[in-house]
Amino acid sequence: MPAAARPSHGSACPPSIPGFQGIHRFWDPASERWTAKLLPGEFYVTRHDEAIATVLGSCISACISDRRIGCGGMNHFMLPEDGGGGAGNGWTDPATGLATRYGSHAMECLINELLKLGGKREHFEIKLFGGGRILASMTDVGARNAAFVRAYLKNEGLKVAAEDLGDIYPRRIIYFPDTGRVRVRRLQPLEATAIADRERRYQGDLARQSGGGDVELFG
Amino acid sequence: MARILAVDDSPSMRQLVKLALSSGGHEVDLATDGVEALEVAEKQQFDVVITDVNMPNMDGISLVRELRRRTNYRFVPLLMLTTESTAERKQQGKEAGATGWLVKPFDPDRLLSIVSKVLT
Repeated sequence: MPAAARPSHGSACPPSIPGFQGIHRFWDPASERWTAKLLPGEFYVTRHDEAIATVLGSCISACISDRRIGCGGMNHFMLPEDGGGGAGNGWTDPATGLATRYGSHAMECLINELLKLGGKREHFEIKLFGGGRILASMTDVGARNAAFVRAYLKNEGLKVAAEDLGDIYPRRIIYFPDTGRVRVRRLQPLEATAIADRERRYQGDLARQSGGGDVELFG
Repeated sequence: MARILAVDDSPSMRQLVKLALSSGGHEVDLATDGVEALEVAEKQQFDVVITDVNMPNMDGISLVRELRRRTNYRFVPLLMLTTESTAERKQQGKEAGATGWLVKPFDPDRLLSIVSKVLT
């Protein structure tokens, strides 16, 4: 079919679920899908035949779908450093430290949104990506992120269907929640510095947020 | 020291909340959803209940509503600890009878100080 015969945007952008209007979406002519593009710290869920894309260095993306319901989503997170710039409150035990609390929170946010759409934990298909050691000069935070997400899912009794974690490559991933398919492209080390810089800024933001979420006592 | 019932469908979150509260000297019982929490709360009296919102079988807001119907929980502090942060959800919690709303992620020291505050 000649390109001119197709509408430039294939279809109208599907409405996003309340709370996710802030996520940037674009029409990707290559996959012919509306595609949500995630930055570090963001997550997105959908009930439509959209794609979700991101670029990972040492960060992790968990792709989770419940195809019986037709919902799926993806996050993009890393662990803050324990004790680094934190409240200095002595919560440095790995079981309860800031890193575990934040990582659990990142996973729980995604899982909760899928449960709200009608997904069931027992029907989840889970795929994990990222955790690369993209700069040889850095400590291997990717391995720590990968170890966390594996341990978290095991603790939650959730099975991992597929994973591509670790190694030295940054990854560009495109997730198709409606089919569960993931396209992974390993990027050249040339791009690693910019990706690592962005992740370091994100980790700095995390350390500043260590005081926890809002608290409101009703009068 | 208080007797606290913590309710969350996530095993990881139950462990984190239990560790945080027991480190403050509290005695902590756990439940995995609203239905189980009601059963536990009927067998013994708790001084504080801390509950997640999104859970299977019975959510946290329905749990609060149910507990408030029971005379022995009418004045017990009931705290929501949740990823939900919208004004609408908070309003639902308030109307159901919740004492307070804590948005995750939680800071252990802050959680302990809120618990002491609602107990006085």
